[in-house]
Amino acid sequence: MKELQAQYKRILADYVESQTERNLYIGQNFIRQLIQKSVTPEEIINIHKSSMEEIYPEIPPAVSHGYDFLIEVMVHFGLTLREHQSLLEHQEELRIEMNVAAKIQNMLLQTEMPKTNALDIGHISIPIRKMNGDYVHFLHNDEDYVSVGVIDVVGKGVPAALCMSMVKYGLDTLEYTNGEPSYVLEVLNRIIERSVDDSMFVSMFFGRFDCARNIFTYGSAGHEPALHYKASEGKFHMLESKGLLLGVMPDVRYSQHEVELEEGDFIVMMTDGVTEFRNQSELDSRKVIEALLLQLKDLSAQEMCEQMYQELKKLQELALDDDFTVVIFKK
Amino acid sequence: MNINVQFRQNENIIRGFVEGEIDTYTAPVLREELDNLRITKGVSVELDLSKVSYMDSTGLGIFVALYKRATREEAEFKLVGLTSRLARLFEITGLSELMDLEVDTDTKVEIGNESV
Amino acid sequence: MSKKTVVDIVTEWDIVAARQLGRNITKELGFDTVNQARITTAISELARNIYLYARAGEIEIEKVDTEDKKGMIIIARDKGPGIEDVHKVMEDGYSTSGGLGAGLPGVKRLMDHIELKTSIDKGTVIRVEKWL
Repeated sequence: MKELQAQYKRILADYVESQTERNLYIGQNFIRQLIQKSVTPEEIINIHKSSMEEIYPEIPPAVSHGYDFLIEVMVHFGLTLREHQSLLEHQEELRIEMNVAAKIQNMLLQTEMPKTNALDIGHISIPIRKMNGDYVHFLHNDEDYVSVGVIDVVGKGVPAALCMSMVKYGLDTLEYTNGEPSYVLEVLNRIIERSVDDSMFVSMFFGRFDCARNIFTYGSAGHEPALHYKASEGKFHMLESKGLLLGVMPDVRYSQHEVELEEGDFIVMMTDGVTEFRNQSELDSRKVIEALLLQLKDLSAQEMCEQMYQELKKLQELALDDDFTVVIFKK
Repeated sequence: MNINVQFRQNENIIRGFVEGEIDTYTAPVLREELDNLRITKGVSVELDLSKVSYMDSTGLGIFVALYKRATREEAEFKLVGLTSRLARLFEITGLSELMDLEVDTDTKVEIGNESV
Repeated sequence: MSKKTVVDIVTEWDIVAARQLGRNITKELGFDTVNQARITTAISELARNIYLYARAGEIEIEKVDTEDKKGMIIIARDKGPGIEDVHKVMEDGYSTSGGLGAGLPGVKRLMDHIELKTSIDKGTVIRVEKWL
């Protein structure tokens, strides 16, 4: 501290002697050093006071008292500063933990794309923040069916991630039953309703493709309708299915519907991060997506997903503000 | 991005006017305001959302929580002045079947099975 | 030599009396200006906590001036509501929330040592030390 004080005094004396920009610059660099050494504001004022008194022994007592007053009031300033620094360090620790958690979540939620000759499957899921609030779960344990759940957990961050794991393990357990969409939704609803708080819920679209019959059976729990492109008509149909969000009420019944997939047909399942254009109206977004899909319809399902993401991102001027997930089943 | 809520209570009826955008950032503010409401048996809560220009699913979460709380307390809960955009959100999520909603008549929403 | 003095904290002006007593002792012991300010601030915070959240209590200041040890021990005692979560009040960020124990992380930084004993509905004793 003695050494620092001597240095400060020299720099101060230089400046008082000649008020150049150079001397000010040296002063600022020196303060930077002091901050790094966690010298508090009240100490700096004290150093300043002592230096002034040494350079000018004839300094009026009133000025010295003025410095004393400043030292007193700056103690609180110093405390606030140190608290702030300590909170920043704490925040950094949390950030690191968050990264670890996000990695674990990604590992847990990895889903394998089914390999089948019956369907061309594409899938993209881009989180807006570290933790993805969307989740896609594929089921394909025999040659007869390919199923997919497209899930959007309401709420973001850690609570959503925890809820997501629950959905995943629910679906894993159901895997062996080869469930009908309505049954899958009913079971998951019960699991989630029992376990999460009032403002948390999940929307889910569940579809199952019967490879032998080319029938796609689907049900929805408060999820965005999927789109079915019928090549024979060159038109899109909305696959809507009424059903309450998962986790709101116990014992909800879900309906299911069937469509047949013909050659060239495809089904696009997506989350509201895809359909919701914040600055444009709902109707426009549907039209835009359909027009875009028409242009892309001859690509592979995976390429369609990726192009859709690129194009919609461009359209929203890179300002996508929700997780973005698309799954395409193409015959 | 801002939100503003004002309440008027007239005996057993609490009327709230919500104005602004309800998203991840503003939702906690709204939630706190609604948590502070004293909801007891026989009270009727009516929220006017006609001045809500945007709402995402976080907003739905808040209203579902309030709906559940009101149901538990044997109180009434109603959302009024829904724009077509908001109404569609409640429609898709199946909440419109459950909750008491009043759509702004000028902009009644229609959902067909087939899109053009 | 060791000498204890007690100031009752009932009104806001008692906080000033506690500060004044503390200040005098810091000067007698020869603490420099910055440390005078720090110790007085710590006393002030402790006394304010009593005044705001426990209604009444006392601040005891002990001046320690022996051959091998020079410094101050300050003890804040109250019969207030007690502190529910002792760990929490020592955490940064708590001070903004108000309530008994607000500002303790700051007091801890200003002093060399802090100890806290509390019991719900019975009161709180906080002991801090600063050595020369």
